Amino acid sequence: MDEMQEIMEDFLVEAFEMIEQLDQDLVELESNPDDLDLLNKIFRVAHTIKGSGSFLNLDVLTRLTHHMEDILNKARKGELRITPEIMDVILESVDMMKALLENIRDEGTDVTDSINIEPVVAKLDAISHGQSPDAASAPADSANNSAPAPEEKVEEVEVATEEDHELTEEELANMSPEEVEAEIERLLRKRQEEDKKRREAKKKQQTTSEAPKEEPKEEPKEEPKEEPKEEPAPAPTPAPQESKPAAKPAAKKDDKKAVPAKKVSTVEQTIRVDVNRLDNLMNLIGELVLSKNRLIKIYNDVEERYEGEHFLDELNQVVSSISIVTTDLQIAVMKTRMLQIGKVFNKFPRVIRDLSRELGKKVNLVIKGEETELDKSIIEEIGDPLMHMIRNSVDHGIEPPEERVKLGKPEVGTVELKAYNEGNQIVIEIADDGRGMDPEVLKQKALEKGIISEKEAEMMSDKEAFMLIFRAGFSTASKVTNVSGRGVGMDVVKTNVEKLNGIIEVDSVKGKGTVFKIKIPLTLAIIQALLVSAQEELFAVPLANVIETVRITLEDISAVEGKSVLKLRDEVLPLVNMSDIFKIEKILGINQYLYVVVLGVGANKVGLIVDGLIGQEEIVIKSLGEYLKGIRGIAGATIRGDGKVTLIVDVAALMQLAKETHSRTVITETFTEAKKKKEKPEDYVVLIVDDSNTDRKIMRKCIEPLGFTIKEATNGEEALNIIKSDSNIDAALVDIEMPKMDGYTLAQEIRKYNRFKNLPLIAVTSRTTKADRVRGVEVGMNEYITKPYTPEYLQNVLKRNLKLS
Amino acid sequence: MSDQLQNIIKQQQQQQQGNLTNNETKDENIVQLVGFVVGNEEFAVPILSIQEIIKPIEWTKVPFTPDFVLGVFNLRGNVLPLIDLRKKFSAGAAEFDDDVRFIVIKVGDELAGFVIDRLTEALRIEESSILPPPDTSSIEKEAVIEGIARKDGRIITILKISSLLKTNDR
Repeated sequence: MDEMQEIMEDFLVEAFEMIEQLDQDLVELESNPDDLDLLNKIFRVAHTIKGSGSFLNLDVLTRLTHHMEDILNKARKGELRITPEIMDVILESVDMMKALLENIRDEGTDVTDSINIEPVVAKLDAISHGQSPDAASAPADSANNSAPAPEEKVEEVEVATEEDHELTEEELANMSPEEVEAEIERLLRKRQEEDKKRREAKKKQQTTSEAPKEEPKEEPKEEPKEEPKEEPAPAPTPAPQESKPAAKPAAKKDDKKAVPAKKVSTVEQTIRVDVNRLDNLMNLIGELVLSKNRLIKIYNDVEERYEGEHFLDELNQVVSSISIVTTDLQIAVMKTRMLQIGKVFNKFPRVIRDLSRELGKKVNLVIKGEETELDKSIIEEIGDPLMHMIRNSVDHGIEPPEERVKLGKPEVGTVELKAYNEGNQIVIEIADDGRGMDPEVLKQKALEKGIISEKEAEMMSDKEAFMLIFRAGFSTASKVTNVSGRGVGMDVVKTNVEKLNGIIEVDSVKGKGTVFKIKIPLTLAIIQALLVSAQEELFAVPLANVIETVRITLEDISAVEGKSVLKLRDEVLPLVNMSDIFKIEKILGINQYLYVVVLGVGANKVGLIVDGLIGQEEIVIKSLGEYLKGIRGIAGATIRGDGKVTLIVDVAALMQLAKETHSRTVITETFTEAKKKKEKPEDYVVLIVDDSNTDRKIMRKCIEPLGFTIKEATNGEEALNIIKSDSNIDAALVDIEMPKMDGYTLAQEIRKYNRFKNLPLIAVTSRTTKADRVRGVEVGMNEYITKPYTPEYLQNVLKRNLKLS
Repeated sequence: MSDQLQNIIKQQQQQQQGNLTNNETKDENIVQLVGFVVGNEEFAVPILSIQEIIKPIEWTKVPFTPDFVLGVFNLRGNVLPLIDLRKKFSAGAAEFDDDVRFIVIKVGDELAGFVIDRLTEALRIEESSILPPPDTSSIEKEAVIEGIARKDGRIITILKISSLLKTNDR
């Protein structure tokens, strides 16, 4: 049972691959009906599926492929010319094969009510009997149709094999299909035996002469011999029966030649691996990258503390070699997940063919760079958006043939599908030479639909106007066709691409054509990110969307119609504060300089004001889980070297949020709000931290005359809590030796927070050694006062630190 | 091969389950719970739904969430949401003293951390003595209450795990 299951699974994998190839080959065949190699290849696929299908007792599938094989065989023999009408039927049966295979995969059987192969089989039969496929629309036996058939046949079957077919017709009309099959089988066996003998005889000959050179010659030699024999054949034997025996051995020979060769290469060079295992491997690598980051961080800390020590060199070597190996390992595993984008592209020749027939347009699809590799998860996701864009290009882009001729363009339109690497990204280009887009028309449409306001339309660049087609509720087709209007708009395409951290760019010249560019990262799991801080909080911004970072001063910000903008070279960027976007409480005072991260998605750019730039880091994307997913502007989270969680920004959503925030907030105002006015002495709050009640009293006495508000804490921990919960503290007088948390640690803890970077910390202690003083400076104390001190001295120090004269 | 393995595992599971049900029937459907205090009330959750209980660690705020969602934290490489039950149940301002714990609970397929004021004890309560929730409790609480139990004169509210992480209240 298990063994059968295994064989079945292998069969399905193989069959799906072959059918995908089949689709492509068939379309190619249509434009190249005389390509014998191609025909043979197609025939072999049908044959193999039929063979394996019958072995696995998949009767429905076998029956269908068998009939398809018949037609292909005749085409191979030149008895039948593949017309578009016949191709329609063949493609239809391929689709049905696909449906059956899917059913087998899901249900384990090809017997299902939802798929009825009989009409297709009847059509295939009709073709194989030389009739038009339409003649068999009633699933009747071919005998019933023998009378009207000759007339239709003249219309549908084009080429000079007519004579031949007439004979077939008559003969077959008198034979039931079973009889025909039996006869074929009988002759086949007979012929095969003869053939075998002949081949053996030839082999003997060949062994004396040069063997490899003879082999390929054998085939062409045989074919022409066979061909003239049957063409004029007025003989009573119907042609297909004659032709079969000749065809079978030929196919067998091909099989023998092709299949072993393939097997050798596949067995030796590839292994099929369960995707879950690869996913698991990728997760483990992710963990490793995190640990590596952590190791590097620890190394940096250690380096600071033990500068100049001998073991540091050694440690450094180990750390760097681990980090190199980890990176290599990550790349290697990433590569195992890479698939050629050809896997997706291969579907499209068929799509274009069907579409152009449906729409009465002539379209040629040019595919380039199908060997470009992408992560499996991206390959899976990118198919649908691409399909939609290609449909769109054919439907809206390419003009009908008459119109093209009138415009002086070649009658056949071209859609070019191209993939290539560009840095850390993959670019997929879909270019058509159709009618292009008119930015003014797009703006007008968007105005009519209320998607944009008149003012927006005026300000819009052409590129931005092209991006309008990706807005929800926008469709440029004046009538909804069943091609592009299948319920998915281009906005869905954009969302899907953005889900992959990708961006879409559009360029178009009216009358010349349109180019869509989709840029996606090579992999989803690990990305390069810029770490920025907004107040106390860190965020990771995918580096792919960061155009540049600039440092500006408040004066560089100008206001246009109540909105803040930044003039950067010859561009005007809307400016938004990240803290405003995420509604983070502003606790930091204003600095002289502001950092602006210029973000770009497609043609849109936004300047994002952040409070700090931490640096670039490789991060592993983790999901926020079911409960927190879908938060606007957040794409996920990552765990950093210190074990803390950092949120990853969803740049596309962030830019949307930025636009909404932008219209509400004027940055300069919010900044001035943050500045709190302190005029009177009571506005200043000083915290006294000392475990001795007496010492606290002394300090209080000393500074009370200044009129400050005074708070007290008895140890470092308490002080830290007070400072953290009440950010109004303006200065702290800190004793060093205290229970629970000493003064040094307290200073260290306080300095960890951005907002307390400039909080004056004054050590007041009886420790007088130089080492103590140095330590005090190291942990971030501003001043170091030793006991005893005079009240005036303490007052002066405090006033100096609070910048009071 | 894998089928055989699965069979063995299945058998083992069945045995275990068998054992469990045997034990339970012996003890007349005793429910094992872990009790904890949030604000002035005592709550409890089934012991088997708890993955672990940890001391408070650092967490990261997440924007656009209600105030009871403190953010996310890192539990050995997994990013989990952190929910302050004290805020969720409007038990007032939440100080982080030495008794505060994060209870990591498996809700459906998801893990999440919940902040509580302090643990009380592991409880063994007869299933039959659990009363349905009274309709007097606030709407916020009512939705998440499985039942009410009494133990040594205390009233313990048993929480409904499945409704602790309702996405619509986010």
